[in-house]
Amino acid sequence: MFSRKQSGTTTIISADRVPAMASMDLWTGLLRYELWWIFAAHDIKQRFRRSTLGPIWLTLTMGIMVGALGFVFSQLFKQDMTEFLPYLAVGIIFWGLLTSTISEGCTAFIVGESYIRNVPMPISVHFYRVFARNIIIWAHNMVIYLLVIIVFPPHFSWHMLLFLPGFLLFLINLAWMGLVVGILSTRFRDIPQVVTNLLQVVFFVTPIFWSATILPDRTAFIQFNIFYHLLELVRSPLLGHIPPLQSWAIGITMALAGFPLAIWLYRRAYARIPYWV
Amino acid sequence: MAHISIRNLTVEFKVYGSNARSLKKQLLSQATGGRIASNANDAVTVKALDNVSLEINHGDRIGLTGHNGSGKTTLLRTLAGIYKPTGGTIAIEGSVGALLDPASGMDAEATGVENIYLRGFILGMTRSEIDSKVDEIARFTELGKFLELPVKTYSAGMFSRLGFAISTAIQPDILLVDEGIGAGDASFRENVIARTQEFVSKANIAIFASHDHAFLQDMGASLISLEHGNIVEDLRT
Repeated sequence: MFSRKQSGTTTIISADRVPAMASMDLWTGLLRYELWWIFAAHDIKQRFRRSTLGPIWLTLTMGIMVGALGFVFSQLFKQDMTEFLPYLAVGIIFWGLLTSTISEGCTAFIVGESYIRNVPMPISVHFYRVFARNIIIWAHNMVIYLLVIIVFPPHFSWHMLLFLPGFLLFLINLAWMGLVVGILSTRFRDIPQVVTNLLQVVFFVTPIFWSATILPDRTAFIQFNIFYHLLELVRSPLLGHIPPLQSWAIGITMALAGFPLAIWLYRRAYARIPYWV
Repeated sequence: MAHISIRNLTVEFKVYGSNARSLKKQLLSQATGGRIASNANDAVTVKALDNVSLEINHGDRIGLTGHNGSGKTTLLRTLAGIYKPTGGTIAIEGSVGALLDPASGMDAEATGVENIYLRGFILGMTRSEIDSKVDEIARFTELGKFLELPVKTYSAGMFSRLGFAISTAIQPDILLVDEGIGAGDASFRENVIARTQEFVSKANIAIFASHDHAFLQDMGASLISLEHGNIVEDLRT
């Protein structure tokens, strides 16, 4: 809560400095990683307090889901488990990260209400908290990926290293989307419901538990499905393939367009978030 | 030297009723040219602070008084950087610490010690700062072994003792306090007053918003009265 400034420096607060303060807020919020990381870890700890297995449940739940879906769908679609299970595991794990970051992003500021109104700290901390929490959950889920590729080894190759830039791009896009819906939801309380429903629909039209290759020619809802392309950026490398060039192009374009949009919106809304929550 | 200079500060905000926030209202009013949902923008604009100017110097102890809604809390929140001015300027020299809500950051499911860390972090302390203060905080609360139990098992008195002990562990240049710091049960009162006075004496500037004149007197505060977002009386000598 101390505005972390040494005595001697002067803080100027005025209406015309609000946009600059908003940008500073995003930055100083990021630097308070100790705070939002503890918040995030506390959220997870709290969720499993007094449960014997604790956060291992995250891993178990994902394992059961992947196992069950893998069994059912490989039977339904007559697919080979060796290829299908790693594909499904990666798809579900990253889809989970994507949807929960966006849908929890919607309520990032709303649930932080008492802090936002009473504690002088960067508002963006609440957004980073949601992000960090979902990264922790994702890390637990990735154990399942590792188990699956031990049992059903994919074609190991250097292409897997493309996961790193792909994941970075994936996260950057998640970040701006989460922040945008977070701001809009704080003002318009219908947005979280809209977002939840949209994500639900997108889940079915995105190749996650079915493969894009089973469609003879790629339909528009795959070709123009930004979520499909984001997913490809991380899924392909983890399965030993190179993501399509188109996915890189779309991922980079979205990041270049979305990031400034999110910052613009944050600068505009910054002064009003404490009144909206 | 801590110093606060407030010039022509105005803080206005819109209060949305339960109806103005929905997207439907907004969309309807767009689609219908504002006829059907003509109340979509019926948000009331509140001028919580109206052209306030104030110089606060090193060593000042100020008690903001005034009726509910006179702007005391808004002024504190604006000084803390939570509310943003719609007009005017504030220049602040020194680090600001604010106790606006005695319990923010406390988690009923977490243990007393965990809460010391949680609230400590929220009040702006680092892990090593809290590490160095946790024993002193624990001793002051006199909660002993209870600190290992979830806070939800505490009585109201124990809870406020813990909150108070953590709150008073910070050391900002400029201290902002809304409605006292919380006290605890009667047997504890003397410790509380002593600790509060010591806590406040470490700050170079302290500003309290309170109706409790006895508390303000204990803190040696000079009164500044607010009414309808204006300063009506400044009793500093």
